[in-house]
Amino acid sequence: MAKVFVVVEHRQGAIRDATFELVTLARELQRSSGLEPAAVVIGRGVRGFAETLSKYLPRTIVVESEALADFRYETYAAALRDVLEKETPLVTLCPQSAFGMELFPRLSVESERPCATDCIKVAMEGAGLSVVRSIYNGKIHSRSTFAPSGGYLVTVRSGSYAPAAEAGGAGAVEDHPCPPFATPFRTEFLGYREAAAGAVDISQSPFLVSIGRGIKDVENVPKAQELADRLGAVLSCSRPVVDKKWLGKERQVGTSGRTVKPKVYLALGISGAFQHLAGIKGSGVFIAVNRDAKAPIFGAADYGVVEDMFKIIDALKEQIGS
Amino acid sequence: MEILVCVKKVPDTADAEVVLKADGTGIKEDDLASGINEWDNYAVEEAIRIKETHGGTVTVATIGSADSEDVLRRCLAMGADNAIMIDDAAFKGADPYGIARGLRGLAGKGSYDLVLAGAQAGDDGYAMVGPVLAGYLGWPHATLVTSVLLEGTTVKVTRELEGGLEEMLKMDLPAVLTIQTGINEPRYVSIMGIRKVRAKEIPVLDPAAIGLSPGEIGANANLVRSAGLAVPPAGKEAEMLKGTPAEIARKILDIVKERGGVA
Repeated sequence: MAKVFVVVEHRQGAIRDATFELVTLARELQRSSGLEPAAVVIGRGVRGFAETLSKYLPRTIVVESEALADFRYETYAAALRDVLEKETPLVTLCPQSAFGMELFPRLSVESERPCATDCIKVAMEGAGLSVVRSIYNGKIHSRSTFAPSGGYLVTVRSGSYAPAAEAGGAGAVEDHPCPPFATPFRTEFLGYREAAAGAVDISQSPFLVSIGRGIKDVENVPKAQELADRLGAVLSCSRPVVDKKWLGKERQVGTSGRTVKPKVYLALGISGAFQHLAGIKGSGVFIAVNRDAKAPIFGAADYGVVEDMFKIIDALKEQIGS
Repeated sequence: MEILVCVKKVPDTADAEVVLKADGTGIKEDDLASGINEWDNYAVEEAIRIKETHGGTVTVATIGSADSEDVLRRCLAMGADNAIMIDDAAFKGADPYGIARGLRGLAGKGSYDLVLAGAQAGDDGYAMVGPVLAGYLGWPHATLVTSVLLEGTTVKVTRELEGGLEEMLKMDLPAVLTIQTGINEPRYVSIMGIRKVRAKEIPVLDPAAIGLSPGEIGANANLVRSAGLAVPPAGKEAEMLKGTPAEIARKILDIVKERGGVA
């Protein structure tokens, strides 16, 4: 029977949420196409993670080694390749995250299995695998198939599948011996670093006025700040504003910045990249202003305005008075 | 320090309407502005900064056609020393593996210490070419790099993780690094600057010149095969607020008060 494997992502002692979204996908592939799902946990001291995964999937494979203490593609790809060669899963899934982006393309070359990254849908079509990817800033969906192979690698965009609930019952946990590594290693993990905390904590504010690429120039930032002040809101932003150093990293909303859940989120000139939208899941009222009627943000917002953000800023200030 | 930077020209679709070609094989690019992939621009800047500190040369390369020349000239104007174009005729429809094979052929012709690429491209967004190229070369790699520090025959980098966290890594040279946006502030390129490099020769290499046969790189060699594009199905759509800016502003304030309970 063909298999589908979920590579468990964990960091600093915790399984990352995206793993449980892939459990949902693996179960879906089991239901629709009869693939046998299993989790693969790689690391040091990860027995506890395997116990957790055993509540979700019928089988969990564990590769433990001192050399796997910290994530490096070098050791993880070698360990995973060994698992793939012995177990020959048809499909192996991983989150499209800093972990998956570092690991899977490289594993693809080293294990000689084709990989498609950042997929939003994954399905078997007959004996072959088919994926859908969201491209051109989310404005186009692209379907892809693969050259015939004994196994396929797929990374999945976070939020594409709902997180799974426990299955009830306990699955099997099996140890897979860690293969010998090619040494000396050429990469070394040195440690983690927290982005410097700033003066504001945007996650604590019930009302965020958030600006994106549409702000156009650093000289326009005070206009948005003034609006936020008058509304009693805190100013936040999307990634391009931080990349240009117009606001500090501590104000960035999104997967690589802060996750927020304000009562009101007013997005001005933000197109709505999924990394940004993932940072405001579960927010209260979400209002988006953007010149581009096709901007993906209108697919996520409760209320939308197709208009130049500066006209709306000025009109809002006028309505509020001074 | 010999540095190769891989760049690509992409259509700007962030703020534009994207229309499919009638046969569904691609998008209509004629009406779209295009330029250097945003991530690649940061990679070129980072390479030039490394050269300014440590000496050496920066070579930019693209797999493209005559219409990508302006992107390469812009890189030269920023301070790159050389530009190379690999003729993309044989790469039509190539997947990230085909592109990486082409770049491996090119990297093999030089003696580079470092290859930089954008962490991803703004069009197809695979984020694969860099690490796949590293795999083909057998070199160490790091993706999503937010700082680069050279130390003798090694390089220290930080990688962007989620939630404002970064990790620090050290690796042997030569290495492939894919650069995340925001790593630096790319310098401004003036029209004067572009004029100064307009006469600089940009060699155009065909696949044979980098040791590749067409069968290795075209759509037929693809491991990931396009099965068609589509406009995404309309999902949940926002309720649109219409009127003059003043009317819209009033509606926004009402919603903020009534539904949000703030302000």
